[in-house]
Order: sequence, then C-alpha cells, then structure tokens
Amino acid sequence: MKLHRLVRPLLAAALALGAHAAHSQTIGYIYVGPEKDYGYNTSHDLGRQYVEKTVSGTKTLHVENIPETAEVSRVMERMIKSGASIVFATSYGYLDYAIELGKKYPKVAFMHAGGLKTGDNVGTYWANSDDAIYLAGMAAGSVTKSGKLGFIAAFPIPQVVRSINAFTLGAQAMNPKVTTTVVWTGGWLEPAKEAEATNSLVDAGIDVIGEQVDSPITIAQTAEKRGIFVVGKDVDVSKFAPKSVLTGASWNWGPTMVKVVNEIKAGTWKPSHIRGDLKDGTVVLDPFGPAVTEPVRKTILAKKADILADKFEVWSGPMMAQDGKELLPAGKAMPMDMLESMGFLVKGVIGTIK
Amino acid sequence: MSGGTVDRARAMAAPLGRPALAAAAFVVLAAVFFAVIGRNPLAMIGVVLEAAAGDSYAIGESLVRATPILLCALATALPARVGLISVGAEGQFYAGAIAGTGTVLSMLPTPGWTMLPLMLVTGALGGMVWSLVAGLLRTGLQVNETISTLLTNYVAALLVTWLVYGPWKNPASQGWPATVEFPAAARLPALFDSRVHAGLLIGIALAVVLHLVLTRTRWGLVLDVLRSNPRAGLVAGLDFRRNALIVMALGGALAGLAGIAETASIQGRLQSDIAGGAGFSGFLVAWLARNHCLRIIPLSLLVGALLASGDGLQMFAQVPSSVTLVIQGLLFVAVLLVNGWLDRKRPA
Amino acid sequence: MTSFDIVFGSFLVSALRSATPLVFVLVGETLVQRTGSINLGVEGQMLVGAMAGYGAAALWGDPWLGLVAGAGAGMLLSSVHGLLTLAARANQFASGLAVWMLGFGLSAYYGAGLVGRKIEGFGTWRGAGLDDVPVLGPIVAGMTPTVLLALVVAPAVAWWFWRTRTGLVWRAVGESPEAARAAGLRPIRVRLQAILLGGLLSGLGGAALSVDHTRTWAEGMTAGRGLVAVGLVIVARWNPWWVLPTALLFGGAEALALRLQTADAGVSAHLLLTLPYITSLAVLTLTCLRDRGQAAPAGLRAVMDR
Repeated sequence: MKLHRLVRPLLAAALALGAHAAHSQTIGYIYVGPEKDYGYNTSHDLGRQYVEKTVSGTKTLHVENIPETAEVSRVMERMIKSGASIVFATSYGYLDYAIELGKKYPKVAFMHAGGLKTGDNVGTYWANSDDAIYLAGMAAGSVTKSGKLGFIAAFPIPQVVRSINAFTLGAQAMNPKVTTTVVWTGGWLEPAKEAEATNSLVDAGIDVIGEQVDSPITIAQTAEKRGIFVVGKDVDVSKFAPKSVLTGASWNWGPTMVKVVNEIKAGTWKPSHIRGDLKDGTVVLDPFGPAVTEPVRKTILAKKADILADKFEVWSGPMMAQDGKELLPAGKAMPMDMLESMGFLVKGVIGTIK
Repeated sequence: MSGGTVDRARAMAAPLGRPALAAAAFVVLAAVFFAVIGRNPLAMIGVVLEAAAGDSYAIGESLVRATPILLCALATALPARVGLISVGAEGQFYAGAIAGTGTVLSMLPTPGWTMLPLMLVTGALGGMVWSLVAGLLRTGLQVNETISTLLTNYVAALLVTWLVYGPWKNPASQGWPATVEFPAAARLPALFDSRVHAGLLIGIALAVVLHLVLTRTRWGLVLDVLRSNPRAGLVAGLDFRRNALIVMALGGALAGLAGIAETASIQGRLQSDIAGGAGFSGFLVAWLARNHCLRIIPLSLLVGALLASGDGLQMFAQVPSSVTLVIQGLLFVAVLLVNGWLDRKRPA
Repeated sequence: MTSFDIVFGSFLVSALRSATPLVFVLVGETLVQRTGSINLGVEGQMLVGAMAGYGAAALWGDPWLGLVAGAGAGMLLSSVHGLLTLAARANQFASGLAVWMLGFGLSAYYGAGLVGRKIEGFGTWRGAGLDDVPVLGPIVAGMTPTVLLALVVAPAVAWWFWRTRTGLVWRAVGESPEAARAAGLRPIRVRLQAILLGGLLSGLGGAALSVDHTRTWAEGMTAGRGLVAVGLVIVARWNPWWVLPTALLFGGAEALALRLQTADAGVSAHLLLTLPYITSLAVLTLTCLRDRGQAAPAGLRAVMDR
C-alpha cells in the first residue's frame, strides 16, 4: 500500500535497522515493567545485553511495560513480523499467549520465564531462587529479636508464594518459633505502598523484612531508616541500605539465555523446562551485610555447600501447611508441578493468598 | 456547544481544514520533541505511521485497540449530554466483564448458541447496574457523579482481581490468576483474518444510531435543554432525574458491552488489567470530540492506532515506552490548540 | 507509654505520611476549581515534580532543593494547561488528560537515568527525646519535614482564601466571572495564577513522595493519586479547610488497608485495598444525606459546556 512505500525508505535510511533482514538472528524481549526498574526487568535486560554482546550476529528488539494481557500477543506478533526468530517472554503471565502464538508461528522459538507448559516450539527457562532465599531466610532467622518477620509482595502468584515459604523455612531452621507476616501491595511498582507497608510491619514489631516486588529499593531504604533488617531479591541493593541488608537472591540470566540461543542457532534445541539454580550461577546469593555475624555466616555457607552437593533439598518433607496440615511426609521431595504452581503457605506464615 | 446552530455551522464549514491543521501542528510539536531527544524527527514520525497503519496487520491491531475505546467514549458522551461528567467507563467496563463472565461460567460446560447473546446482554446489564450506582447517588442524594464514578472504577478493578485470585480462579492454571478459557461459543465473530471482532461494527452502528437519536429526536432536544439551561427545563416540566438515570444506564451498558466483548473475544478469559485504560482513553476521546457521537468514531480509531503503535515505536526506533506517551500528549495538545484557536470567537 | 498510644500514634503517623502528598495536591486543585477551572493533569504534574525533585536531590545532595525543583517542574507543566484552556480555550478535561500524558511520558523518559541513584532524604525526630512524651511524642517523632509542611500549608491557604482580600477576589472569580469582570477584576489572570499555583503544589506533592516518603524514583510512581485528588476536591466540598480531614480520611484508609494485613485480618488483600475508595464514597454520601448537594463554584459549571 501507498503509506508503506512512503515510509519504508525513510525507515531504512534513517534507522538502518534491517528489521526485515533475515540473515542475522533477531531476538525479541518483552518486559512487564520498565526496562530500568533496578529490579526484575533490569535483571532480564542485563541478560539481553549479555546475549547481544556474546553471541555474534544477533540483534535484539526489546519492548517494556507490556501488561500480562492479550496486549502481549500483538507485541510478540509484531516482533515476529519484524524478523524475530526467538522471543523471550519474560513475565509469568505471558505464558498462554506464547503457547497460542507458538502454534501460529511454528518456525519461531519462544522462551517463557517460569511457566510449566511447553509447545513444539515453546520452552521455558527459570531458576530456582528458593535456595538462595532460604539461605537469606536463615540470616533473617538469626538476627530477629522479636521472632517476627515480614514479607512484602505484589501479588500471590506461585513464584512469589515460593519465596515467602522458602524465606520462612530458612528462618525457622535457625529459630523454629519464627513467623512471617505477609503484606500484599497489589502492584509490582508501588513505592508509596511499599514504604507504608514497611512502616506498618515495623510498627507491628517486625524486625526483618523480605520482599518480592519490582525493585527492592524502596523497602530496603525504608527498613534502613527505621533501623530494621531486610533481605533483597532480583538485584543487590546493599548500596541503598548498607546497614540493613542482610543478603539476598539476585539473578544472572545471561549465561542461560546465551546457551539457549546457541542451541537454537545450532538446531539442537528441544523445548523443555530449563531450570537454573545456585549451582550453575543463574542465582547468586548476595554478599552478607555487617549484621550477619561470623558464626551465622559459617552456618549459612555450610548449608549452601550442602545444597550445592545435593545433600539438602529445601522443598522436601516434613512440611506443614499454614493450618498445620501435612503437605509432605518426611523424606519426600516436592513434585515439580506442586512446586511451580505453589498455592499454599507453610506453617508460620501469617496472611492469606486469596 | 452552547452556541447551538452557530457552532454547528462552524463545525460543518471547516471539516477538512481542521484535521489538516491539527496534523500539521502535531508534526511540528513532535518534530521539536524528537529533535530535543536527539532523534531524526522524520524517521520517527515514519515509524509511528508504519506501526499504526503500515500494513493490514498493523491496521487490524489498531482497530482491535480502538473497539473498546469507541464504546467507552460513547459511554462518556451520553451522560455528558445532560451535563453529567462520568469518568466511570473503566469501572463499568470491568462490571460488564464480571457479569458476562458470570454468565459464561454458569453455562459451562455445555455452551449452546444462547451463550453469546446472554453473555452480551448480562455484560451490558452489569455495566448498567454499576453506572446506576453513581446515577442513583446523583439523582437521589446529589452525590457528585464525577467522584463517585472515579472511586467506583478502582473498586470494580479490584473486584476483578479478587475474583480471579479467589473464587473464579482456574484450578488448572498453575496458579496464574485468571478464569478458565471461554469456549468458542462465547466469541464474537472475527472480521477478516484478524483479531478484529464484530464489537467494532456494533460500536460504529451504535455511534451512528445515538447520533441520530440525539440530533433528530425530541428526546435529544430534551437532553440539550436539560444540559444547557436546567432552569428552562424545570419550567418546561422536563424530568432531569429520570433522564439522567436513563443516560447513565445506557452509557454503563455500552461500557459494559465493551468489557465483556474484550474479555470474550480478545482476552479469551477474565483476568486483571484487561481494560488497559480504555475507559480513560474513551473519556479523552469523548471530550476531544466534544461529545459528538460521529466525531467519536474517527477519534477512537486515531487513539487506538496510537496506542497500538507504541510497541512498534519501541521496537523499531529503540526508544522507551515513555516516548509514546509524550507523542500522544503532543497529539492532543495539537488538536486542542487548533480547535481552540479556530473556535476562539465562539460565543461564550 | 501505653500500647494504645503506640498503636494509635503509629497509625496516625502512618495516615499522615500517606496523606501528605495528597494534601499539597488537594489544596492546589481546590484553588484551581474554586476559580472556575478543572485540571486533570495534576497526576502528570505530580510525576514531573517527583522526578525533578528526585533528580535535584540526587544532583545537589539536598532534599530541600529537591522540593523546590519539584514544585518548579509541576508549575512549568501546569502552564501547558493554562495555555490550552485559557489562551486557546480548549476543553478542560481533554487538556488535563493531555497534560497528564505529557507529564507521565516526560518524567519517565528523563527519570530513567535516575533509577538506581541514591539520595539523601530528610531525617525524623526519632531518638531526639520526643519518643517518651505521652501521646503526641511518638507522633511528632515519626514525622518528616514534608508532613509538617503539609500541616501548615493547608490551614494557611484556607485562612488566606477566606480571610484576605485576594482570597475574596479568587472566590468572586469562581462564583461569577461576569460579575467579577464587571467589578474590574481579571478572571483569566486569576485562573492562570490558580492553575500555576496548583501546578506548584502538585509538583511539591510529587516531590514529597519521591524525595521524602519513599526516597525512590520510579516511573508512574504516583499510581493514580493525582487523579483521585481531583475527585477528592469534591469530598472536601471545594473548601480548603476540609482538605486536611479529607486527605487524612483517604490516607488513613490506605494505611489501614496495609495495617489490617499485618494484623492478620484474614480478609482478601484485594478487598482490603478497596477501603480508601469505599470509605471516601461512603463519607461523601453521608455528608450529602445531611445537606443535599455540594457547594460547587458556579463558574465551574461552565466548564462542562465547552
């Protein structure tokens, strides 16, 4: 059509993008929040940059602030029409749309973050951050004086519920009487509510807070201001709260993404659930803050060594639900679907996921 | 539109000059912005055009985005005809989505041909009931409708969140907060080979019908009198309350229809955030169109196209999503400047 | 110090903290509407205020400069609304939404570089010996300068508005621009002043949120507070005296929604989060039961017809 002819040369000349050129590999990335959020989305964008730098002949497209609704279908489709042969759908709620589009575009490879469904050309990648959160929970359990921990989170989706439970179990390993009070903010990026939730928890006598929102910055700084401790997630925020941060669990997505991209290029890729962990370095346990004493560090690092040597499994019985019912008998490991669609809180967690 | 015929004549006199002038003003403003952020203005405007209407796919996606905006704009314009300022389309959209989804869920697992009409009717009723809360508060207790619709928007959105995390959560969704997928019987017919659905045609038809009703019937005149001269309306024995309730109810039904149509045909399931600001975009369109139902049609398409082009701009020009918002803001500034300037001698 | 003091005191502080940005915005928008305009762009003005304030605080290391910069940025953006509605006589709702988008977009664009930068915020008076004073002690000790500023600004403006000659002029313009013009006043100029002052105050409110309350800049961080404030003007009955209680009502309900969760109320968080909206509507309805209707400035009615 006319408009097309008018616009195309302009585009090509001024941007020299070669968006429609097929010879180089084009990879699309979609983020649910701002690319620069100093949190979850930034961690994925760092992965994108790593891929672009490491794998020669790749070009990436990225789009931020795409809600987990049918909007993402359009974005993925436009990426594909612009030449993307690999699409990283980096938010949990993109799953069903990726599966649907996978059927429509069989030659495109889709990689979804954390889902538990695959298609002929849809795989998933995720990393078990629960181990690191569990270890961070141990630090929390050792420094709490009141025995009351808090957790501030956006929405009760499985990836968040896992963190809450792992945090609590880790803390209980150090102090069995510990409880975790959960506060939901109802949004991934709600600094005002995050600050006020932190204040509410402090006022209720809680002295260590874990969190899973877009960026830990607000909660960490408010905790520092109120003189309590905090455990981070997604990125290391110790520079914002040098006294308060105990440790945390950070992402390093680059190597996993590079591996998948190389496999796809080589034609050896089969859709599967790729799951990284502490062992392969996709998840990093942040450096300890000054409040974590030397003996506690030793205990935590010994547990980390056990995890790395497969001698300890966070998700194994005996495990009790919030209401005291048995979830897993002693010695039994949690099946993957129970883990990845986690819809229960463990004993000691105060709050509701409804 | 207090000038009545004068205004109408003016509007008809310059139907072509106005959009051209506005477009020119927009290009100038946008070019300045792009130059300030160090981008080639021509290339960037080219990208916006390409992403919004570059091929049949882009046009289709623009129409998909425009559909709920069109209905929500009508839902704003209708109450405005008696002088009510409703910002409630977003909430009515969600109320319609809830009610229609309730119908679909109650009819599973044996959907018949009755599912689609029943779903649409209950969706419209849901929006109507939600709108009537504000309408009754206004007519009964003089509670300002702008604030009541604004506040109930948030409540409706949170109700959806509550439902999909709680009672209506699909047990097979692996923890993802959404209802079960709607059956094919609940989808409106698609147009062409795209995601565009019959809701768009319904919206356009309703806009035309409403325009005719509002301009050609006695009732339209009644509404005009109630808005522009409430005292005269009182003297003439016109019933403000009754008419206010009627327009609020009809407006709510339109937004509710938008909500359930979007849920069933585009999303395929009920979940949070599906309105995507359609209610507020509709409000903007209605007031840009000065609540003129026919003008709402092209303006909704324009706003829908702009919104749908946002990801293209990010992809091709590698700018953050915020640039799209600035561009939208500048477009509306251009339209308002030109309209205002052309109408500046309009009698106050 | 009894536990009642702690619970009540800390809740009151919490409500005040949540209400503070709203107080500034509400005072400003009340004046805007009282002089016969309406500005839906305050959300965007808050955002540029939050961004510019955070940027200034990061650059110069002084939170006070952050507040000043935020106020200035809010005022600058509000001049767009002034230009569109007063000079070009554009529709006020559409103009406000355009300003909102501009503010959201510009603040997100220029604020991206600020994400992850640390600023020095204000301190509190905790540990300054106030904590042991019964009842008021812990309340004052938990406050920051912007909270106190809000507590001063709202009554000061109310006093100015009702008790001074210029306040009378502003009221007259809002009640009847024609009569004001006949009396030799200049309604357009007053409206412009009100819009700019509203911009300044909403920018200040945004900066209070980023520089003081959260010490964070994130795009869209006001999360609808500006838009809600435009509506809460009605709950406050267009009266600056009612701004403080109205903002406290909303802020208090917001804080309560979080506090009930820490108290293990057992109710869905999504339902608890509706509290601020339902409470505001309920209170408005109750006051309407007593005396029908709200004292909308007559001049504001004309807005709808454009």
